[in-house]
Amino acid sequence: MIGAARARLSAGGVDFILSVAVAIIALLVAMIFVVAAGVGFGHGASAFVNGAFGTKLNIAGTLAKTVPLTMVALGWIVVFKAGRFHVGFPGQILIGGMFVSIIALKIHLPAAIHLPLAVIAGMVGGAAFAGIAAWLWAKRGVNEILSTLLLNLVAVQILAWWVRHPFHDNSTPLPITKSFPNSSRWPELLKNTDLHWDIVLVPVVAVAISFLLARTLFGFRTRLVGSGEQVARHAGISPEKVGTRAILLSGALAGLAGASLVIAGSTPSMGEDFGSNYGFTGIAVALLARNSPIASIPAALLFAALEQGGGVMEGTVGISSSLVDFIQGLMIVLVLAATTLLYLARRKQQGSRGARPRSQATPQAELEPAR
Amino acid sequence: MNVIATIGIGPFDTAWLAAALVLSTPILLAAMGELISERAGILNVGLEGFMLVGAFFSYLVAWKANNLAAGIAAGVAAGMVFAAIMGLLTIEAKADQIVSGVGINLAAAGLTAYLFDEIFGNRAQIVVPTVGDLKVPLLSKIPDFGPALFGHDWTVYLAILLVPAVWLLFYRTKWGLAIRGAGELPAAVDTAGISVRRVRWFGVLTAGGLAGLGGVNLAVVQVGIFHQDMTAGRGFLALVAVIFGRWRPLGVLGACLALGGADALQLRLADQNQVPSQVWGVLAVLAAAFVVYQLVRWRQGRPRKVALALAGLVAAGGVVLVTVAPHIDLPDELWRSLPFLVALFVLAGALTRAHMPSKLTIPYSRGDG
Repeated sequence: MIGAARARLSAGGVDFILSVAVAIIALLVAMIFVVAAGVGFGHGASAFVNGAFGTKLNIAGTLAKTVPLTMVALGWIVVFKAGRFHVGFPGQILIGGMFVSIIALKIHLPAAIHLPLAVIAGMVGGAAFAGIAAWLWAKRGVNEILSTLLLNLVAVQILAWWVRHPFHDNSTPLPITKSFPNSSRWPELLKNTDLHWDIVLVPVVAVAISFLLARTLFGFRTRLVGSGEQVARHAGISPEKVGTRAILLSGALAGLAGASLVIAGSTPSMGEDFGSNYGFTGIAVALLARNSPIASIPAALLFAALEQGGGVMEGTVGISSSLVDFIQGLMIVLVLAATTLLYLARRKQQGSRGARPRSQATPQAELEPAR
Repeated sequence: MNVIATIGIGPFDTAWLAAALVLSTPILLAAMGELISERAGILNVGLEGFMLVGAFFSYLVAWKANNLAAGIAAGVAAGMVFAAIMGLLTIEAKADQIVSGVGINLAAAGLTAYLFDEIFGNRAQIVVPTVGDLKVPLLSKIPDFGPALFGHDWTVYLAILLVPAVWLLFYRTKWGLAIRGAGELPAAVDTAGISVRRVRWFGVLTAGGLAGLGGVNLAVVQVGIFHQDMTAGRGFLALVAVIFGRWRPLGVLGACLALGGADALQLRLADQNQVPSQVWGVLAVLAAAFVVYQLVRWRQGRPRKVALALAGLVAAGGVVLVTVAPHIDLPDELWRSLPFLVALFVLAGALTRAHMPSKLTIPYSRGDG
């Protein structure tokens, strides 16, 4: 028992070191690009750190960006455990935001009801959009990755139409909605910054998802289905039902991210690009966190710092913030590569007893009893 | 522009036909490579990324070296380099193919956007010379259809010619048998003394090269410029085309033409201020055909009443709309999502699981059986 616990602790420690190493390598690669663009190493690094954490405004910006990233990462972890790798977060964020805008702009209520209603609308929107992919998968056998990739592209067009026609603010030619009333917005946590009270969602939802997956029947079924559909079927559990629920839940989390971006963002209205890259970056966050709900928080903070610092650097030293997107993709590739190296090293250590390589995204080993 | 040519979307509309062919080409190029890769057992979600780096580096090199051929080669090579990363991750390291693909897409989008900003950010965009049209002698002289079908650049013909080439490869060569085996029963390929690794590497690199060429087609063949996110989902459409084509060369060709046709149609329709009644007509005919098909199946004792009722409603509604011809103002944005919606319906309607290579996305290790 103690030995097993120690083994797990050390595995956790190795995971942690691995993630940190990946992050450091990715940051170094980023610095190579910065230096290649003619900015000195020290100058670039200090501009980045300052951009992410230097001032009250920048810290608030970093923390604010942590919220949607954590939510999407948690959504990915849920579907990952169920073995359903959908990638529909970008679309679900956008549709979530659209649903929020209906409640926020069309209904007038006191803040105590208006805000919760708007947030719930966002979750419903995200879940509903995810529901299309879930239905297509469960009933029509459509691969959920492909359907969500397509649905993402559809969502972009729907939102583009949404902010130009039905919800367009007619006082401006810009494709944005009217400003949302304060009763529907998350109150500011730090005055005159981007940091709103939705930051409390980060620890609360992370712990909730962690509990849900590790300690509840739903979590057990999800992990069982993720470990192998055949096993689950023999145990009398319908992989379709469990998979659908997992996809819906992840859609709701993405919708929650969308709600935060819309009613806790820096602008009082909704434009067509509020989702930017959060949907895919959240997946990178989860991978870096090695699919642990709690570890998603620091991982999200790192990516949020990258986004915030990279964005500020564009203004201060003139490095295009697209570099950040590249670094995020690079991190996914590095995490996958590092996992393999780790596996090979472990196998060497154990001698070649011929254990089958556990591929990075096959959650077979996740199915140990909760305790 | 000629009003009749703009509105007509009948089967004899040659401008639409030509547009459909041109718009299918990048999808078809990528899909043919992806077909080979998937038959060998590797699913490239990163196809979109391969296309994007192909488009960017072809433009970059064509502009820097002032040489179109070098640009084309660079685009293909860039696609293959990214495919090599995919191969390293999924074949050598046995990492998950889907997550790898997502990472590659992100990295490709970020890298191209960054380099584009850094290199071209502060200057007016230069249009590099594009590949000229290569009119097929005699055939292109046929009235109406000639120019529409045989008056394109060479990548269009190459894409079409790839279809029989891949068919021959798959069904008439030993190597093709090994490719199909690697996706179905890799152990058998291994037993025959052919390396599964090599076959899969061949698949991935082919997918990268051809998807890169698809990107080249978008950038330096068609317009001579590059812009951020230029591929705009075409790589994903190619993935859909392979599924819709049921992993067969001819089927994939049909799927690509359908998707390209939908794309050409939306470009047309987005121009209109109202939905032309032909759209309703086509819809009614399709729905009616579906009803007939279902009725035939009913006789065989497998009715699907909900689908039947829905299709009947759509058919009736279509007929009504054709006769009434209401002024419906559908915005551009919704037309723009038409190809993606078509792809979704196609996926939902096609019973494809039975045709999927059974070891797609499953890494191969000796001794797994």
